[in-house]
Amino acid sequence: MKNKTRLLVCFFILIGFGISINAQDLLETLENEYPDTPQYEFATFKASRISIGHSIETRKKGVLEIQAFNRFWNIPNYRAQSFVADKLSARLALEYGISDRLTFGAGGSTLDGIFDGFLKYKLIQQRSDGKGSPLSITLFQNGSYRSKRNQPFPDVNRFDEFSDKLAFTSQLLIARKFTPQFSVQVSPTYIHRSSSVFGEDPNNQFAIGLGGRYKLGGHVSVVSEYYYVINPLKSIDTYDAFSLGVNWELSDVMLQFQLTNTRAMVEDAFITQTPNNFNFKDGNFVFGFNAIFVLHLSQKKP
Amino acid sequence: MNKIIILLFMLTGFTDVEVKSDQIITRQGQTSFFSYTSVENIEAKNNQVLSIIDLSKHKIAVSMLMNAFVFKKSLMHEHFNESYIESDLYPKATFEGDIIDFDPLAPGTQIKIIKGDLTIHGITKEVEIKTTIENNNGNYLLTGDFEVAVKDFDIKIPPILAPNIAKTISITFRFEYQPYEK
Repeated sequence: MKNKTRLLVCFFILIGFGISINAQDLLETLENEYPDTPQYEFATFKASRISIGHSIETRKKGVLEIQAFNRFWNIPNYRAQSFVADKLSARLALEYGISDRLTFGAGGSTLDGIFDGFLKYKLIQQRSDGKGSPLSITLFQNGSYRSKRNQPFPDVNRFDEFSDKLAFTSQLLIARKFTPQFSVQVSPTYIHRSSSVFGEDPNNQFAIGLGGRYKLGGHVSVVSEYYYVINPLKSIDTYDAFSLGVNWELSDVMLQFQLTNTRAMVEDAFITQTPNNFNFKDGNFVFGFNAIFVLHLSQKKP
Repeated sequence: MNKIIILLFMLTGFTDVEVKSDQIITRQGQTSFFSYTSVENIEAKNNQVLSIIDLSKHKIAVSMLMNAFVFKKSLMHEHFNESYIESDLYPKATFEGDIIDFDPLAPGTQIKIIKGDLTIHGITKEVEIKTTIENNNGNYLLTGDFEVAVKDFDIKIPPILAPNIAKTISITFRFEYQPYEK
């Protein structure tokens, strides 16, 4: 009899269990029904540039960006009638997403006459579900052609043959989105210049870029970028590129404003050949403004 | 005594069977939302909505990932997740409620009110949704539409973009259920 009461108790406990399992919250049940698909971080940065240099972001497939990058500055002790700024350089460019991971871009700069083209490939994406890679990695490779001498600054490359005017930049862009607001990028950079006027200048240069973004709201973020050159040019004085800026994203338009010391907008030129330091004196201080318009050439059917 | 034990066995067995057939689930529910303004039409569709109904208790729950919404333009998807719905912080939208006066056994179509809590962007609001329930020999299909006000869920829209996004968003859903087996 005692055994039987025990059995009975056991049964009641079992039934109790059954009920408690069934009484589980419906939402909790659904929580366990989610398929285990990987979740990736998106929008570590918004635009293809953090401020002056490339970010890890590539464009989605079928997206065409029309870009106008502008830099304005004053010439010291220059008596001119120009409005706001004495000098303006603009880089007009197109960027197109061949696939979700691969982006092609090409552009031309007005003042220094540099034409450039690049490919950017998103190698690894940071996972937001705690599994997989904690970092995003993008490969960047560009080639640039200098069609004009760099007046009034001395030229570091020869202008005799076509191949003398080429330079190539390879970057490994490594970024992490720490919080929804805060992202950091480290960019080891290798720059090869095809020719040198002065024998003392290195043809292969190395640099490390450091960039960050902090989002102030849904659409506005503060960004900063710095490129440290490990073996700078010896024939002329060069300074490291620095930028402090604000990015503003609105619908199909992205605007990037920056305070910087760089005038050029192509990697090899602004990383290794920035002739002035960052301060607010005429001639050194450059105001930059990037306008990007996004067109979706192939649209998905929702 | 033995008979009682057998009876208990049968009871537990029965309840188990009943519980199994009592819950129905969908893993490919469809939810779409639309924002129509004179400037821009925005629509998005999510084909991976989860929903479960407890037929005996007349209870329903819905859960979906916000980043599973597909937009016409990839930039809209990014803006929706990053700037508006903030899916980093609030990855899911959920609904939990009661189907009022629901008769699971009645065949054919019945139109019922579902009353419950809708949570979007971390904010919960009580809503009532008129729903069409079709019962085809135990295969249930729920369809319906309702509207939500953007400002109810604390979604910030910059003034310059206010004309592009409707004040109320219309939402449609279509859930086809199957028996739920654990």
